[in-house]
Amino acid sequence: MNRIFSKDILRSYFFLLPFAVFIIAFILIPVVGAVINSLYKDVTFREREFLLFDNYISLFKDSGFWQSLRFSMLFILVSVPFELILGLIFALLLNQIRRFRGLIWAAVLIPWAIPSAISARTWELIYNYNYGLANYLLSGIGITGEPINWLGTNVGAFISVVIADAWKTAPFITIILLAGLQGIPENLHRQSRVDGANFLQGFQKITLPLLKPVIVVALLFRTIDALRVFDVIYVLTGGGPGGATTSLSIFGYNYYINGDFGYGSTISVVLFAVAFGLSILYVKLSRFEAGLR
Amino acid sequence: MIAAGVVLMLSFCLAPFFFMIVTSLSKNPEFLSPAADYQFTLQNYSSVIFKESLHFIDYLRNSIIVSGVAAVAGVLTASIAAFAIARFELPGKMLVLFFALAVSMFPQISIVGYLFKFMTWMGWINSYFALIFPYVAWVLPLSLWILTSYFSQIPKELDRAAYVDGCSRLKVLTRVIMPVAMPAILSTVLLAFIFAFNEFMFALILTSDHHARTVPVGIALFQGLHGEIPWGDIMAASAVTTLPVVILTIIFQRRIIAGLTRGAVKG
Repeated sequence: MNRIFSKDILRSYFFLLPFAVFIIAFILIPVVGAVINSLYKDVTFREREFLLFDNYISLFKDSGFWQSLRFSMLFILVSVPFELILGLIFALLLNQIRRFRGLIWAAVLIPWAIPSAISARTWELIYNYNYGLANYLLSGIGITGEPINWLGTNVGAFISVVIADAWKTAPFITIILLAGLQGIPENLHRQSRVDGANFLQGFQKITLPLLKPVIVVALLFRTIDALRVFDVIYVLTGGGPGGATTSLSIFGYNYYINGDFGYGSTISVVLFAVAFGLSILYVKLSRFEAGLR
Repeated sequence: MIAAGVVLMLSFCLAPFFFMIVTSLSKNPEFLSPAADYQFTLQNYSSVIFKESLHFIDYLRNSIIVSGVAAVAGVLTASIAAFAIARFELPGKMLVLFFALAVSMFPQISIVGYLFKFMTWMGWINSYFALIFPYVAWVLPLSLWILTSYFSQIPKELDRAAYVDGCSRLKVLTRVIMPVAMPAILSTVLLAFIFAFNEFMFALILTSDHHARTVPVGIALFQGLHGEIPWGDIMAASAVTTLPVVILTIIFQRRIIAGLTRGAVKG
């Protein structure tokens, strides 16, 4: 039987050819192109000039780079755990639901399905100082006397971006974790209740350990996504105020859009290197999981 | 307690969407401030749909064409590759899968600079081509993962019967696997469509006006004539764009979740 399937390995690879052509032409070559470009002074309408590593040296001396790196790291450290906790709570809730299950699951999916640039525009209005929903609700509950300047202050802009991003991405984490939750046999929970464990104990002793592999997957996925965050910030703050929310992607974009492809490429190569390192880690971990199965 | 949690969760998930709809139907977007009141109107909708100078309908058409073509082409390309990975004994096929996974995590910013130069050189900037080709590549990794997972579940006896009847491998794919997996393929097309439809950075950099600009970029760059933001128009345009997405999500919720889970967790 195997002979039919292995007799012509070379021709079998042809099935992968169209796939490979697209990936190579529109993803891999562009990445290599960025690496090459990063070695040049390459500004629109100017002579291209080979610099070797000068761009990288400038980058490491550039306070703008360190500012955006610091923002990106802080954004990961705050938003990923926040989204994970939110996603976990959502998943635990959804796992309990019996009635209107389809509709409620769909409702949780909606933020994921709406293009982030579009929902970010709605968040921009929600954060409006004078007539946004956020200040309206906060003053309604009586938490704040003064309206909050969400997008105009460093802290406000950071919180705004984190919340809008969490709204968009928590559903994705929810779905991944939900798949993990549903893989946990119901009788384990039943047994633990028979043994007199309460919900929290059951969660700690059974749910969390069994969910750990899925949580690791979600965590890495989100870390890489948070590292390359662009849409939400571009629309909400444009990287401001004063560069306070300039992620690495926004930082690189600002150079591209001004025609500086050499320096823009340098930024994106550094970002790529970090993301690639993380994704290798992810692949290693998921392979390890696959091996366990 | 669960009920209260569900209510809180739903409010958080749906509030921005409702706020979008409510504002889009208001004459004053400032209706929450004490100085203005809420007046129902459909004016915003008629202006985004009929006012040609806003180009919203152009953006919507561009988005649907570009994402639709890319989703179908991407899923077709991915199904050929997924068939090979699910069925043939290819040395290194796991490597292809994991490589695709790594590719899907590349930051777009590290791709788009060179793409801009390439598309300029080809004369494709601000055309559908500038977006369709990168979008196909963009949706391929996810589609490959989902389809490989689906195809692997189809019983091999089906292929064997076809091979005994003298079918070529390509025929087995098109006559046996694809018809059996059609629901899975269609839901993968839907997921790929949503992915392409949501894409922002490529569209922002590779298009320059309504000839090719997509909806997310169009709405993100919506500006009033005198520097004041036309919130009514923006919210109406957002609502028109997201309503079909929301309806699709409600109808195909089960399939979307199954697809996303296969794409993410099966790793």
